[in-house]
Amino acid sequence: MWHELARPEIWVPWLLGMAFGILVGSTPGLTATMAVAILLPVTFHLPAMAGLAVILGVSFTAIFAGDIPATLLRIPGTPASAAATLDAYELQRQGHGAPVLLTNLFCSAIGGLVGVGLLALLAPQLARWALRFSSFEYFWLGVFGLSLSAVLTPGQAWKGMAAAALGVLASTVGWDEVAAVERYTWGRTELFGGLGFIPAMIGLFGLAEVFRSASHRLARRPDARLEIRSASSRALRTVLAHPRLILQSSLLGTLIGALPGAGADVAAWVSYGLAKRLSRRAQQFGQGCWEGVVAPTSANNAAVAGAWIPALVFGIPGDAVTAIVVGAMLMYNIRPGPNLFHENIHQLHLLLAIAFLTQLFLIPAGMIGILGFRLFIRLPHSLVMSAVVVFCVVGAYAIEQKWFHVMVMFGFGLLGLWFDRHQVPVAPFILGMILQPILELNLRQGLIKSDGRFQAAWERPESLVLMILTLAMILGPAMWHVVRRIVAGIARPRTSESSP
Amino acid sequence: MAATPGDLDIDVLTGELWICLCRGSWYSISGTDSADRRATGRQKSTATHGSYHRWVWLLALLACMMSGCHSRPYPNRPITIICPWAAGGGTDRLARFLADAVQRELGVPCVVANRTGGAGAIGHQAGASARPDGYTLTLITFELCTMHHMGIAPLTYQDFDCLMQWNADPAAIIVRNDARWRDLNEMLQEAREKPGQIKMSGTARGGAWDLARAGLLLANGQSVDDIVWVPTLGAAPALVELVGGHVDAVCCSIPEAASVRDQVRVLAVMADQRLECEPDVPTCRELGIAWTAVGWRGLAAPRGLPPQVKQTLMSVCRRISQSQEFTEFMGTNGFQIAIREGEEFVRFLAEQDRIWKQVIEKTGFRPETKGS
Repeated sequence: MWHELARPEIWVPWLLGMAFGILVGSTPGLTATMAVAILLPVTFHLPAMAGLAVILGVSFTAIFAGDIPATLLRIPGTPASAAATLDAYELQRQGHGAPVLLTNLFCSAIGGLVGVGLLALLAPQLARWALRFSSFEYFWLGVFGLSLSAVLTPGQAWKGMAAAALGVLASTVGWDEVAAVERYTWGRTELFGGLGFIPAMIGLFGLAEVFRSASHRLARRPDARLEIRSASSRALRTVLAHPRLILQSSLLGTLIGALPGAGADVAAWVSYGLAKRLSRRAQQFGQGCWEGVVAPTSANNAAVAGAWIPALVFGIPGDAVTAIVVGAMLMYNIRPGPNLFHENIHQLHLLLAIAFLTQLFLIPAGMIGILGFRLFIRLPHSLVMSAVVVFCVVGAYAIEQKWFHVMVMFGFGLLGLWFDRHQVPVAPFILGMILQPILELNLRQGLIKSDGRFQAAWERPESLVLMILTLAMILGPAMWHVVRRIVAGIARPRTSESSP
Repeated sequence: MAATPGDLDIDVLTGELWICLCRGSWYSISGTDSADRRATGRQKSTATHGSYHRWVWLLALLACMMSGCHSRPYPNRPITIICPWAAGGGTDRLARFLADAVQRELGVPCVVANRTGGAGAIGHQAGASARPDGYTLTLITFELCTMHHMGIAPLTYQDFDCLMQWNADPAAIIVRNDARWRDLNEMLQEAREKPGQIKMSGTARGGAWDLARAGLLLANGQSVDDIVWVPTLGAAPALVELVGGHVDAVCCSIPEAASVRDQVRVLAVMADQRLECEPDVPTCRELGIAWTAVGWRGLAAPRGLPPQVKQTLMSVCRRISQSQEFTEFMGTNGFQIAIREGEEFVRFLAEQDRIWKQVIEKTGFRPETKGS
């Protein structure tokens, strides 16, 4: 099997694909999906396995590379890296840029390995589990995600929730597919497609950052030193210090990635939120906490692997990239579905081997990406910021070649500046925009399916379990507090040493 | 305005560049060779001279470019095909195939621009309002005949010069392998007895397959509410729900269900005759329901295309439709080929427009009757 992978017609396009993934992923506005869509017509001229190797290489490297600008410039390269802007950027500001990037890289590779491992070992079981998810399960997942808005950022919780509510509102603009009506479009055709999540994200993170650095007279320059040796030993120590968290985030990322209705972006946010909930250093999250770096970056790469689980087992895509893959596999004459696991076992093993090796190649490829990006960062600050503006415009335009999206991007840039002035966190706003379609569509679909009965939201065992977990996550800390006080109250007369 | 030596150097450099671009015209204007000019250019450091030269070159360059543009016939620059649907989907795959074929036929780059959103309205609108010069084409789809009845956008097929229809995929009623109905009539009978019990999915509300379902029920003399439509963002998520057991049936085209074909059964196709790829699946007509519904795709240009350009494009389309690659491409994707040229295509569209108007009026999708 291995000698087949050593053939140049496979590894040459594969490595080129990974290089392309680094480039696209680290450019704000160009997403992994876009990279795969661009390369797809090229892959039809290649052997099937080479084509799949290119797609695997591009998607994994692009999701990692999205963390590079998120860390150095506070601009997520792809939506899956938005959660990484919180702590990774803060740590970079404190002078830990290089170790953070390498931690991102190692965690991405480990997350990917865990995801591919689960794909290889448990794919049929996990895919069956993922198919049990329906409208109300996604609804509860959305509620859980949205509840993170209160805990995502330090400071006043109500501001986080208000920002999330605004994000939900902004995301409702456009054509409503459920009722076939337009909402907040004022009859303008451009608004039919909504404001656009990616232009909003680029504006709120990217452009707002440029505005911010322009308004502060003394602009900080990202730390451009890179001592590979000391930085990698620091990163390795970080990775070794959090084995449980990495495993937890990778598993969670794979599971969420395997759900056809949620992708790497949701996976990153949820694992960040869970890490914070379960951490003893919860109050340090958002102010430069290594756990806040490790959790989302492990989860988003694991989710990329997870998305392949239902795609291979049932021919049902787990995210936008695998949606393209499923179509492409038919063109390659590989029929995804249960038969792939019985009849085409050789092709499956080849695919898994490629996915596995991609995680190992990710480390050198990522290092090159980091070095390249650092050369760019080392340019004079004014030049870097001008280039960021260019990237923001190009990224916003490139999504659908619409000037309207560039305008939206500028609008959200100003909004981001306003948020910054009033200490309103941006992350919950983005979270609201990501989760609104999941929440609303699934709630309404669920109610249509149940003929309008709300009880259906907890009638199935899966949704009941998710509801209880979600409510426990939301109300847990408060309830824990109450329980502890009661226990302390009972305990006090007998002994004075109750646990702090 | 004083010129610095730096400015002059840039002048010289750009001058060189232009010379490279249009060598012939440079000699004819200045009458000196470039080495000579470089020597004198350094010494004559007057700004007026430098900028005078620059203007001469610029004009010469512009003249070259414009004369080039006008003398060369269509096409002499890249062509864009607007795809109103997202990258990776069936329409996008066809658009990319056509772009590749047009590029080979005409020898100019041809690119696909995905302008998605608004149930296809945004892409169609962009395509209709583009300049009718043959450099912007649109892969028009089914929704063009429904969106103006739905009140989404005031666009019809009459806003386009329709060139060629490529395919027509009939809607199919798809259920799980273990579904309780043996055929479509059993399912419709159950829907009549227990209205609202059966949940069907496949597109957004008012999308192609929702209307196909509504038309089927109307043609069978039933209420459109006998089968409840669960809106989704496309056929793929609907099939997830079907395979997972969360909806009872899906209405979509056969190629959209290709990846889950082993896990589902097709009860009927809304076509005139049985499909070659699914010879065992009956048509609605065979089951006694006079109803067909197809999702079609075609190539169109904005209305008002110059006759010569239209002729060129028509002959290109014709050659593509007769090519081996086209048949192969459609075969691997499972798309049903349905070629209609020019006038025939327009007649087809007029017919479609009429059919769907009736269905949409009876389902109450028209904004006037929605009452909101």
